[in-house]
Amino acid sequence: MEEKQKQISPFLVFFLVHSVQVGVGVLGFQRIIMKSAGNDAWIAVIAAGISINVAIMIMYLLLNKQQKDLIDIHKDLFGKWIGGFFSLIWIIYWLVIGIVVLRSYIEIVQVWVFPLINIMMFSIIILGLVYYNVTGGFRVVAGISFLGVVIPFYIFLSFLFPIEYANFRNLLPVWNHSVKELSIATKDMMLGLLGFSTLLMYYPYIKHPKKSQKWAHFGNLLTIGIYLFILIITIAFFSDKQVSKQIWATLSMWKIVELPFIERIEYIGITSWILIILPNICLSVWAASKGIQKMFHFHLNKVIPVILILLLFATVTIQGRETIDKLNQYLAIVGLGLVFIYVPILTVLSFFFTKKRKGNTGNG
Amino acid sequence: MRLRRQRRRLNKRIEKEKEKEKEKDESIESLFQQLNGSNDFTLSTLPYEEHTLSIGYYSTLIDSEILHRDIFPFLKDLDAISSLPTLLPIEEIILTTDISVVRDNLLKGYTLIFDVNNLNLFGLVKSDVDKTRQVSLPEVEFSVVGPKESFVESLDTNINLVRKRLPIPEFVSKELIIGKLSKTRVSVLYIQGVANEENIHTVIQRLTDLDFDQITDSSMITQLIQDNQNSPFPQLIDTERPDRIATAVAEGKIAILVDGAPHGLIGPTTIFEFFSAFEDYYLNWLVASFFRLVRFFAVLFSILATPIYVAVLTYHYELIPKDMVATLVTSRSAIPLPPILEALVLELAIELLREAGARLPTKVGQTIGIVGGIVIGTASVEAGLTSNVLLIIVALAALASFTTPVYQMGNTIRLIRFPFLLMAHYMGFIGVAISFCYLLIHLLKLTSLGRPFLEPFYPPRVQDFKDALIRLPYSLQSKRPIQEQTEDTMRFNGDKAKKKADPKK
Repeated sequence: MEEKQKQISPFLVFFLVHSVQVGVGVLGFQRIIMKSAGNDAWIAVIAAGISINVAIMIMYLLLNKQQKDLIDIHKDLFGKWIGGFFSLIWIIYWLVIGIVVLRSYIEIVQVWVFPLINIMMFSIIILGLVYYNVTGGFRVVAGISFLGVVIPFYIFLSFLFPIEYANFRNLLPVWNHSVKELSIATKDMMLGLLGFSTLLMYYPYIKHPKKSQKWAHFGNLLTIGIYLFILIITIAFFSDKQVSKQIWATLSMWKIVELPFIERIEYIGITSWILIILPNICLSVWAASKGIQKMFHFHLNKVIPVILILLLFATVTIQGRETIDKLNQYLAIVGLGLVFIYVPILTVLSFFFTKKRKGNTGNG
Repeated sequence: MRLRRQRRRLNKRIEKEKEKEKEKDESIESLFQQLNGSNDFTLSTLPYEEHTLSIGYYSTLIDSEILHRDIFPFLKDLDAISSLPTLLPIEEIILTTDISVVRDNLLKGYTLIFDVNNLNLFGLVKSDVDKTRQVSLPEVEFSVVGPKESFVESLDTNINLVRKRLPIPEFVSKELIIGKLSKTRVSVLYIQGVANEENIHTVIQRLTDLDFDQITDSSMITQLIQDNQNSPFPQLIDTERPDRIATAVAEGKIAILVDGAPHGLIGPTTIFEFFSAFEDYYLNWLVASFFRLVRFFAVLFSILATPIYVAVLTYHYELIPKDMVATLVTSRSAIPLPPILEALVLELAIELLREAGARLPTKVGQTIGIVGGIVIGTASVEAGLTSNVLLIIVALAALASFTTPVYQMGNTIRLIRFPFLLMAHYMGFIGVAISFCYLLIHLLKLTSLGRPFLEPFYPPRVQDFKDALIRLPYSLQSKRPIQEQTEDTMRFNGDKAKKKADPKK
C-alpha cells in the first residue's frame, strides 16, 4: 500500500474507471457495432457492459486477495524473469492505448478542424500537458480524470437536439439479428471499454480499496448509460445505410444543433473532447511508467519523458486511416485476451498458489 | 527526512548559542563606541549626590515625554539600579547583565539607565514612541454592510483588532522575529484546539526557516512561504479586514500578521475563497450566492472572452450564425489588423490604463481613466484600428477581472489571459482548450500549506460546497470545513440551532 497522503478516496474510482472508457470511441463507435448488429446494436452495448462488469469483479477478486499491483503479483507468482515478461506485455499494451487515443484524436482534428495541422507540434503540446499532469503523481492524474468527467458533461446535453428529428421506430423490430451477429457487435463494442484495466496498477493507491469495488461497477454503468444514450439517438436519427457511411456518427449528429449565438457545435464538441481524452492518455502513460519504474527501479520522473518521446515518435510515424484502424483492431484483440483470458487465469493461479504456500508454511 | 530536519535545527541552535557567547564577551565600552557612530544616540551622565547615573537612548526611537515625565523626576531618589522597577511608574523594566540584551532593547526604543560605578547591572525602561496611523476604512476590500475597520501598520493594534473579536484564552498569538536586518515581528494567530496542529507546525516551521534580510510587508511573506513560488496564483489570502481574519481563525485557519504591514495573511485556503468577498457573509444567503456566482463567471468570461473572439475570427467563422456575421462584418470590415494583433493592442492598452491609473495620485488617476477609456477607445474605433465589438469585449473582460475581491487574484487573471490569447491565435478553439487544460492541471497541482487548492471541487467534498461557489444559510454551516482538518469540527450544534425558532402560537 502507498503512503496515505498519496491515496485517493474510494469513490474517485468511479471517475477513474469511467473516464478511461469514454474517449475517442464515443465519437464513432456506432458504425462499427451497427455493421453487424444493425438496429439491435443497443443489445450489444448492454451485453458488453455486463461482461465488463464481470471482468471488473474478477479483477477485484485478484486484487483484494493480493493487495498489491500487477507488477508485484507477477513477481510473486512467476518470479523476476517470467513475471517481468508478462508485466512488459501489459506495459506495452497500456502504452499502445495511449498512442491510439492520441493518434485518433489528432486524426479527428485533422479531418474536422485543421486539415493542415502540424502533427508534430500538436503532439508535443498535448504530450506536454500529459507530462505536466503525470509528474504531479497519481493524485493529480486522478484529479484530471475527475475533472475530465465533470467539466465536459454539458456536451451530452447537446445530444438532446437531434431527438427533435429522431424516429424511434428505427429501433423496431427488436431482435432481428442472430446471436452470432450480436456477439460480434459485443466484441467490437468492448474495444473502447478496456482501458479500465489500469485499475491493476492504481489499486494500491486507493484508500480502503475493498470499498471501491462498487464505485468501479457504477463507473462502468455510467459509461454504458452514455454509450446507450448516444447509440439509441443515433439509431433513431440516422437510417442504417446512413450510419454505415459515417465514420464519426456522433460528430455528424452535432451538425443538426442550432443555437441563436452558435452554429456548428461539433467544433465545441471536438474542442471539449480534449478534456475527455486527456485522462485516457494520462492514466495509461501513468500506468506504463509506474510499471517500468517498479520493474527497473528507475526514478519515475526520468521514465516519463522517455515514454512520452516514444509516444511522440509513434504518433508522428503512424499515418492514414487504415493504419490507425488496424492498430485499433490488434489492440482490441490483445486487450480482450488480456482482460478476459489472462486476468481470470492469473486470478485462479494466484488463489491456487497462495493456498499452497500457506499450506506449506503450515506443514513446515 | 525528519531526522535530517532535526539535525539541521540542532545545528542552527548550536550556532545561535555560539553567537550569543561571542556577544557576551563584548564590553559595554565597545557597545557605546558602536552606538555613538550614529548621531541620534544620546548618552548623558547625571551626577547625583550619592551616585552618578548614566542614561542612554536613541532620541529618534523614544518618546521624550515619557523620559521627562516618568523617568527623570524619579531618578533622584534612586538608591540602586535593582530598585528601578519599584520606583518608576512604567511596567516594562528589564534588569540585565547581558550586553546583547542591552543593545537589542536600545534599538527597540528602551532607555538604558546604569550606575557608572557599577557596570554589572543595567536597567532598561520601555519608552518607545508609538507613531502609527489611526484605524481607518478598508479601501481595498470595502463593504457597504459590516464593520468598517481595517488593519494599520502596527502589529499590536492589528492583534488588538482581532483579539477583541475573539476574547477567548484559546486564541493564541505566537510571535517570531524574521529578517536579519529588519528584525520584523511576525505573529501567527490561531485558536488552540480548533486549528490543525500540523498546519500550525507547517506555518511556524516555514517562518522560522526563512533566511531573509528584510521583510517590509506581508506580501513578501506570502511569496516566501507559499507552496509553489513559481505559480502566478497566490496561495495565501491577503486581507485588510480584521473581521475576515477573525472569522478565518475561528474557522480553524491560521493567520499571519506582520509588523509594518496593513494586511494579514490567511491559510490554508482554496481558490474559491479568492472569489468570495467578506460582505457575502453579511448579506442574505441567496443574494450572497448570486454575487459569488456572478464573480465566478466574470472570471471565466475575463479569461476566455478575448481568446474566443480571436479563435473564432481567425479560424472558426463558420461557427457564427448568419445574423451575427453581419454585425461582425460591419465592425471589422475596415480594420487592417489580424484579430490577434487587434486584441493584443487593445488588451495592452487597457493594461496601460490600469497601470497608469495605479501609479498616479488618485485625482490624476481618475482623469487618466476617463481620457484613456473614452477618448482613446472612441478614437481608435473611428480611426479604424479596432472593431467596436472587440472594444466592448475587452472592456468587459477588464471590468470582469476587477470583480475579484482579492486584489492579487485580479492581477493573476489579467496575466493568464495572454497565454490563452496566443494559443487561440495558434490553434483556435483547440488552443484555448489546451491552455484551459494547462490551467486546470496547474490548479490541481497547487497546494496551500499542503492542503489541496482546488478543494472542494477536487478532491470532491460535498460538505465543503456549502461555502464555496455558493454560500448556504448559517443554520447549515454547523461544521467547520474539511479543508482545514480541524481538531474540533463543530462550530455549533446544528440540530439545536434549527429548533431555536419562535414558538408557534
